Amino acid sequence: MVRTRLIVAFIAVALLSALVSAWLANVVLPYYHYRLAWLADATGSQVVRTRPVYPAGPHPAVVIGLAGAAVLLAVIAGAAYAASRRVLRPVRRLAGAAQRMSGGDLSVRIQARGRDELARLVTSFNTMAAALEDKVGELQRMEARARQFAGDVSHELRTPLTAMTAVADMLGEHPGLDGDTAAAARLVRQEIFHLGRLVEDLIEISRFDARTAQLVIDDTDVAAAVSWCLKARGWTDVCADVAAGLTVRLDRRRFDVIVANLVGNALRHGSAPVTVTARAQPQDRGGGYLTLEVRDHGPGLPETAIPQVFDRFYKADTARARSEGSGLGLAIAWENARLHGGHIEAGNRPGGGAVFTVSLPLNGHTSPSTSSPPCPSRCAVPPSGAGKPPRKR
Amino acid sequence: MATVLLVEDDPAARQGLELALRRLGYEVCLAETGEAALDGICGAAMDVVVLDVMLPGVDGFEVCRRLRRDSDVPVIMLTARGDDFDIVAGLEAGADDYVVKPVRPRVLDARIRAVLRRMVRAGTPPENHGELVIDRGSFTVLLRSREVSLTPTELRLLLVLSASPRQVFSREQLLGLVWEHDYLGDSRLVDACVQRLRAKIETDTSEPRYIQTVRGFGYRFGPV
Repeated sequence: MVRTRLIVAFIAVALLSALVSAWLANVVLPYYHYRLAWLADATGSQVVRTRPVYPAGPHPAVVIGLAGAAVLLAVIAGAAYAASRRVLRPVRRLAGAAQRMSGGDLSVRIQARGRDELARLVTSFNTMAAALEDKVGELQRMEARARQFAGDVSHELRTPLTAMTAVADMLGEHPGLDGDTAAAARLVRQEIFHLGRLVEDLIEISRFDARTAQLVIDDTDVAAAVSWCLKARGWTDVCADVAAGLTVRLDRRRFDVIVANLVGNALRHGSAPVTVTARAQPQDRGGGYLTLEVRDHGPGLPETAIPQVFDRFYKADTARARSEGSGLGLAIAWENARLHGGHIEAGNRPGGGAVFTVSLPLNGHTSPSTSSPPCPSRCAVPPSGAGKPPRKR
Repeated sequence: MATVLLVEDDPAARQGLELALRRLGYEVCLAETGEAALDGICGAAMDVVVLDVMLPGVDGFEVCRRLRRDSDVPVIMLTARGDDFDIVAGLEAGADDYVVKPVRPRVLDARIRAVLRRMVRAGTPPENHGELVIDRGSFTVLLRSREVSLTPTELRLLLVLSASPRQVFSREQLLGLVWEHDYLGDSRLVDACVQRLRAKIETDTSEPRYIQTVRGFGYRFGPV
């Protein structure tokens, strides 16, 4: 501490000066008395040639000297303390301001007093804070504008898409169309639906960015939700292994999107069989997670792709010009899990194949899982490695 | 065949939806603005209203509220955003159902059919539930001998619930039975319709006597 060192230094100086004064008094006083005696002798009194005789106890001059030194010491120490406080006040303020700034408050400024080095330091700090605030503000405005733009574009695309989607089914229905025209009509129809999916996904992502996405929570039977998700999309060869009677409070539509996007991704980029397993992992104090795993038996994810796999429009295989999905499926799944207070992790199984693990807070009651529906042997699920503790947020 | 009043300001979307609805066999009556829709452009012929939310001038929510004042015609909201705010506001304004743009014609068709579906008339005598009399033969509901005006969806919800007094129906079940929605139906439709039904038949909506909430499960009729 600078203050303590300053105080100690002041005290040391004061002590030293007091000691010097006392020593001087001790040295000087006998000579002074001797001079007095000698003067008396010279003026005709009794001549004493021996050492002068002093009264018993400390000489009053020494007592006065020491007391004076003590008072002086106290005054000096007090002055030192006050001075150090005063000198260090701007430093204290700077420390507080820096702390608030690191906490995210860029609007913090300090009032500069005087013209010393510390005042200049305070002025520099203020200039730096103002520049930083400007820069960060500008970046935030740019990002908000970019996101707003993406959202607006998607919304604008919806109006023409409404007209196109409404009539798309009519294209190619006409029996009189020749081969090429019929093929062209089918292509247009197919791409209208593809564009529709892309715009839907973009709008969904822009809702997450704008933080307007909301959960509609219901008690959900996980086995029924997974089986409906697979059935509705015609994925009959995907094996689901979910404990019966497992009920979790979650947003059914968003949960369906998570499962569908992960399974769709596994079917497109991995190899069959694809399996979905879900288990409740209760923790102490009523918490716990629903763990859902989607595994495939393909070559797995390249190590370099794992950190980026949830990025928007990320493609692990760059040779693939365009995926059948929108390129936003995993990003949307990830955002949906996050909205639930959970997360998704991507990785590879030791035996080969990619595995995506979703962890969602249970937040509700779970019935004890007594039985599992039989899983066909062709996609027998290896012992679940779902024992990984979910990362806490 | 049923007549649909389509209220949509964008010409292309209006024409596209009109073509699709005609192809599905509906008579279509068009309105470009909310004011035109409220002026009774279709006359008394309309069976269902498909209503865009984003309209210049009087918006879709206001059109829905004003239609509700003197008509029980089913209203399906066409929301451009699918944002929760729009959906909740539309349901509060009295919409029976909603679809999100761009909508596939067969989805719109299924929704229209569901809100138009006639209940099967039963030859049973009117049932008395406290001060409420439900006649499944004439589809009339009397509260303290005075007829209650219900929209088709509200009537269907009341008939489904009162057919099995004391039985608890989950929101999902009601979505399937009343709205004919699939598994991912929006349970807020049920909650909004229950609120409207309560406002019409309950004396004290905070302590409902007929349509009771069973917390964590759903709704039941009675016990009265």
